[in-house]
Amino acid sequence: MNGNQYQSQRPRAAQWVVLLLLIAAALVLPASTMAQGRTGAWVDSIVVLVEPSFPAAVSRLEANDIQVYFMSSVDPAQRDRIGRIPALASDVSYGLFWEVSFNPVGPLYANGTRLNPFAVPRIREAMNWLVNRRHIVDELMGGMGRARWLPINTAFPDYARLADTARRLEITYTHNPDRARTVIAEEMGRLGATMVGGRWQFRGAPVSITFLIRTEDERRAIGDYMAGLLEGVGFTVERRYGTAAVLSPIWMGGPADPAVWKAVTGGWISTTIDRDQADNFNFFYTPRGRPEPLWQAYRPAPAFDTLADRLARSDFTTVAARNRMMAEALEFSVRDGVRTWLAERVPVWPRRAELRLASDLAGGTSGSWLWPYTIRYEGRTGGTVRIGIPNVLVEPWNPIAGSNWIFDLTFIRATQDSATLPDPFTGLWHPQRVERAEVFFRRDLPVSKTLDWVTLRPVPEIRVPAGAFISWDPRAQRFITVGERHPEGLTARTRTVVHFERDLFRNVQWHDGSPLSLGDIMLEWILTFDRAMEGSAIFDPAAVPAFRTFEREFRGFRIISERPLVVEYYTDTFFTDAELIASTAAAAFWPSYAQGPGAWHNLALGIRAEAAKELAFSSAKATSERIEWMSFIAGPSIAILDRHLAASRGENFIPYAPTLGRFITADEARVRWTNLAGWRGARGHFWIGTGAFQLQRVAPVERIVELHRFARFPDPATRWIGFDAPKLAAVAVTGPATVRVGAEAAFDIRVTHAGRPYPPAEIERVRWLLFDARDNLSASADATRVGDVWRAALPTAATDRLVPGASRLEVVVVSRVVAIPSFATASFTVMPR
Amino acid sequence: MTEATPPPALRRPASSPVVRVLTYSATRLFALFLTVVVGIYLTVLIANMGGHVDLIKRTEVREAVGTAVGMDPVMMALPVEERHRRIAELVAIEEERLGLHRPFFERSVYFTRDALMLRLGFAERMTSDAGSRLVRNIILERLPPTLLLFVSAQILLFVTSVLWALALSRGYGSTMDRIVIALAPTSAAPAWFYGIFLILIFAVVLGVLPFGGMVQAPPPEHPVAYALSVLRHMVLPMTALFLASIFLAVYQWRTFFLIFSSEDYVEVAKAKGLSSRALERRYILRPTLPTIITSFALSMIVAWQGAIILETVFNWPGLGRTLFTAIGHFDTAVIVGITIIYAYLLAVTVFLLDIIYALVDPRVKVGMEGEQ
Repeated sequence: MNGNQYQSQRPRAAQWVVLLLLIAAALVLPASTMAQGRTGAWVDSIVVLVEPSFPAAVSRLEANDIQVYFMSSVDPAQRDRIGRIPALASDVSYGLFWEVSFNPVGPLYANGTRLNPFAVPRIREAMNWLVNRRHIVDELMGGMGRARWLPINTAFPDYARLADTARRLEITYTHNPDRARTVIAEEMGRLGATMVGGRWQFRGAPVSITFLIRTEDERRAIGDYMAGLLEGVGFTVERRYGTAAVLSPIWMGGPADPAVWKAVTGGWISTTIDRDQADNFNFFYTPRGRPEPLWQAYRPAPAFDTLADRLARSDFTTVAARNRMMAEALEFSVRDGVRTWLAERVPVWPRRAELRLASDLAGGTSGSWLWPYTIRYEGRTGGTVRIGIPNVLVEPWNPIAGSNWIFDLTFIRATQDSATLPDPFTGLWHPQRVERAEVFFRRDLPVSKTLDWVTLRPVPEIRVPAGAFISWDPRAQRFITVGERHPEGLTARTRTVVHFERDLFRNVQWHDGSPLSLGDIMLEWILTFDRAMEGSAIFDPAAVPAFRTFEREFRGFRIISERPLVVEYYTDTFFTDAELIASTAAAAFWPSYAQGPGAWHNLALGIRAEAAKELAFSSAKATSERIEWMSFIAGPSIAILDRHLAASRGENFIPYAPTLGRFITADEARVRWTNLAGWRGARGHFWIGTGAFQLQRVAPVERIVELHRFARFPDPATRWIGFDAPKLAAVAVTGPATVRVGAEAAFDIRVTHAGRPYPPAEIERVRWLLFDARDNLSASADATRVGDVWRAALPTAATDRLVPGASRLEVVVVSRVVAIPSFATASFTVMPR
Repeated sequence: MTEATPPPALRRPASSPVVRVLTYSATRLFALFLTVVVGIYLTVLIANMGGHVDLIKRTEVREAVGTAVGMDPVMMALPVEERHRRIAELVAIEEERLGLHRPFFERSVYFTRDALMLRLGFAERMTSDAGSRLVRNIILERLPPTLLLFVSAQILLFVTSVLWALALSRGYGSTMDRIVIALAPTSAAPAWFYGIFLILIFAVVLGVLPFGGMVQAPPPEHPVAYALSVLRHMVLPMTALFLASIFLAVYQWRTFFLIFSSEDYVEVAKAKGLSSRALERRYILRPTLPTIITSFALSMIVAWQGAIILETVFNWPGLGRTLFTAIGHFDTAVIVGITIIYAYLLAVTVFLLDIIYALVDPRVKVGMEGEQ
C-alpha cells in the first residue's frame, strides 16, 4: 500500500516538475521570441522630465525615479559618488577641450613703450614646456580629462592616423620648466627686456600680462595656474576674471589690443566625431579661420600658412600625402603657438546600471544618434524609461528651422529615421535605409572608404546629364534642368548613386499611418530651393546664406528609378571619407530636415500658414514679420495649423501641385489628410516622423515629453545592439629589462578588450616608437602579428642609435571600431655595446 | 491780546468732498505713473547695462554663427572668403532680428513707451513653454503655476501667522511664546534652503513625496487625478515657504499686536469687563486693520514675481525662473514685460490701499482738508 502510494506520487511529482518547466518555458520563451521578433525600440515608452541639477539627478537615479540623465558633469565629487553607488553606471565623452590663446600683436605697442612677449613665437612655443598638463588633468580637473598638446582631438580618427607624430611631439614638448625659462630669458633679452628683482622690465616698467580668465568652469583654476606659472618666470600678471558675457566682447569682439589683453583661457567643443580635422590649422592659426580681429592678427610662418591652406582646400591627391602634410602641420602648430592646448574634458554621463544605450564618444548620450535604437533594460524587453534632462521644449519644434537646442534635438532624433547613421565610436556613416552607394569621383581627388556599403569609382571626368534637376522656378513651381540652365554642359567633382532599400515605400510609414512616398522626398528638394528664392510665397531671407553655400557646390540630382528608389546626386563638394559623400547624397533624398522629420502633408500646413503670413518656419522671419515662430507641437501655432488642416482636407490639397501633382495622387492626398486629422485629434499636435518613437504627448508648461514605441517601425530591435560601449583596447608590453646598443631586441604586445584578445580583424595597426634616453625618436615601425600577440622587433639599425641610459618603447594601437587609440610604454635600460 | 486769525481773503474756500477726492486721486495717480515711468526706464537701462549688452549680444551672435559654421562640413569646404561672406550675412540677419541694427537709445525709448502702453510685443530670444514668442504668452503661461504656489503659500502663511500671533499676544510670556521667539531666527535661512532638506528627507530617504516638478510624469489625463498630483507636488515647496517665514512672521505680528494690546483704551475696555474676543475684534484688530491689509496686499503682489532659487530647487515652472532666464539672455522685452506688470500692480495696489484706509479707518481723511 505504502509502496503503491509512493509509486503513485512519483508521477505526480514528475508532472509538477514538467508543469513548472512548461510554465517557465511559457514565461521565458515568448519573452525571448518577442525580443527576437520585436521591431523598432526595445522599450515601450520614454518619459522625459526636467531636472536642472546634476547632484539632484544622481539622487533621482539612485532612487530609480529616472533611469538616465542626459547631461554630463566634470565634477570629480559627482563622478566618485556615481562610482560608489552600485546601481549606477556612466559613460564618458571627449568633445570639449581647453586651451590658452595668446594675443600675437607686437612685440612693441603703446608707441614702443610696452612689450607683448606673446608676439614672439618662441616664447609662445615655450609655454608648452612651462605648463604641466598632468597637473591640470590630475589636480585641477580631478582626473576628468586628458592632456592635449595638439590642435586635433585625441579621441578622433586623425589622432589615431597620426599617432606616432603626435606621440613624438607630446614627448618633445613634455613639461620642462627649465627649458621654458631658458627660451623665455633668451627671447626677452633679445627684445631688450631686463630682469630686475626677479621681474621682467621693459623701459623701466614691468612687463605686464593681462590674463582674461573665464569663471564658469575649470578654466578658472586653469587660468590661475597658468597665471602663476607666468609670474614664476618673471612676468607681472593682472588677472581679469569674468564670464563669457564679460570677457568675450573683449577678446573675441574687440580689437586684438595687447594693452587690453594678452592671454585668455579658451574652450572649444565638437558634438560629433570629426573624422577630418585637416581644416583645424586653417581655423585656429590663420586669418582665414574667422573674421574677428584676433584671427586677423595671426601671422603664421609662410610655409605653415600654405600648408594650412592646402589642407583646408584638400589640395592633395592621396590620403598618404594628406597624412604627411598633417604631420608637418602639427609640428608647425606647436612652434607657432598662438594657442597652447592644455586638456580635453572627459565628463561622465550617468545612468542606471541595468540600462543600456549607445553613447557617442563626442556628444555623450544626448548627442548620440543611436540612443533611440539601443535604449533598453538589460535582460528584458519593454517597459518605460524615464529620462532626466536639464531642459526640454526650449524652443518651438518645426522641421525646417525650429529648435536647434540639443535638449530638443535629442528627442526629435528619436522620432526621425535617417538614410544613414553615424557610428558613435568612429564617426563613420552606416547605411540605415540605404542598401548601397556608388561614389564616382575625379581621379585626382583623395577619396577612400572603410565600409563595404560604399563602392569607389574613380573616373577621369563627371558630366552632369542634361535632364538632371539643378534649380527651381518658384513662380511656375517646376524644377529647372541642367540642360536649361547650362546648355553648354556641366561637370561635377563627384557623382553618387544611392540605392535605397528595395521595399522602402512599403516598409516605411509615418507615425500617422501614411506610407512614405516620393512626394515626401520631392517636397524636400522643392523646399531646398523655394524658401531661398524671392519669387516664392514663403521666401525667407534667413534661408539665403545656407542656400548660396549649397548652390555654389550643387550640380544636380536625378531619380533613376522610383521602385526601388535609385537616385543620383552631383556635387563639387567632396570629403576624404566616401561614406560621408554617400551619406550626404542619401540625406538629400530623405525627408529629414535640419531640425527634424517632415512629411509632405504636415509640412504643407506650415507652408500654407507661412504663405498666409500667419506663422514662420524661421525665428528670423517670425521676428521681422512680427508673427509667431511655427511650432508643430504646441502653442498658438496649433490653432492656425488646425484651420489649414480643415481647409486642406476640404480641398484635398496637394502643395506645389504643378510638380508634386506628378508624384502625389488625389487618393494619396485624401488618405494623408484623413490620417493627419486623426493623429492631431488623438495627440493634439502635428509632429510626425518615421523614427522608432512617436511623440505621444507634450506638456509644455510642465516640461514633460512622452514618446511611445512606433510599432510599425520596419527594422528589428537588435539591429544596432553592438554599439553599447566603445571597444577600447587594453595594451600591455613585455620585453627585456636591458637592451644592448646595436643588438636586436623583441617586445611582445598584448592587445585585449574585457580580458579577451582584441580581434585582429578589428585592429588597423600596432605601431611602436623607440625613444632614447634624451627623448629623441630613434626609430618607429609597425609591429607584426605572431599568433595572439603582436611583436615589436627592434632591428640592430634601431638600437644602434640608442645611447646608454633609460630608454622606452611606446606602443600605439589603432582600432578599426573605435577612434580612440590605445597606448602602452615599456621602459628598459640601454647598455653600452 | 486778540486771537491771531488769518484774514478772510487768504482763507482757502472749502471744496466739496468729491472734488477733494478727485483732485487727490489725480495727483496720486500722476505721481504713481511718473514713478512707474522712471522705474521702467531704469529697468531698461539696467537690463541693457546702459547699452553695453549690445556689444555682448553682437559677440554672442558672432560666436554662435562661427561655431555653427565650424560644425557644418559643407560650409567648411567653402573657400575662406566665401565662408567669411556667409558668416557676415548670417551675423547680419541675426543682429537685425535682435534689433541691434538700431541705436540703443532709440530702442530704449521705444521699449519704455511700449511697456507703458502694455504693448509687450515679442521676446527677443525666449519663447513661452508652448513655443510662443509673445511676451504676453510667456508671462500668462507661467502665471497660473506661480499664483497657485505662491498665493497659496502666502495666504496660508498670512492667516496662520496673524491668528497665531493674536493668540500669542494674549498669552504673552507663555511657553509657546518663548518657543516662537526662539525659533524666529530660523527665518534667516531662505525657503530653498529648507527645500533642499525637505527633498532629501521626503523624496530621497523616505520616497513619499516627489523630488520636484508641478505634476507627475507623464501627467494624469483625468482632471481630478491631475489636480491631486499638483497638490501632492505643492506640499514640499509650500512647506519650505511656510517654514522659512512662519516664526518670524508670528513674532512680528505678535509684537505688533502686543503694542496695541497695551494701549490705554484697551486697558479701559478690559476694565469695563469686555470679553477677550470682543477686545481683539474691536480694540486691537480694528485699529491695526490698515497695516494688516497693506501687508496682505503687498504679499500678494510679491507672489507675482515667484522665487528664482526655490522654483529651481523644486523645478516649479514659475515666473521667477522666467525672469531669471530673461536676465541671463538679456531679453529686455521679457524683463520689461514682467517689470511693468509688477509696477502697475504695485501702483494700483498702493492707490487702492489709500482708498481702503479711508474706508476701514475713520481717522484717515482724503484730500487737502485731511492734510491740513
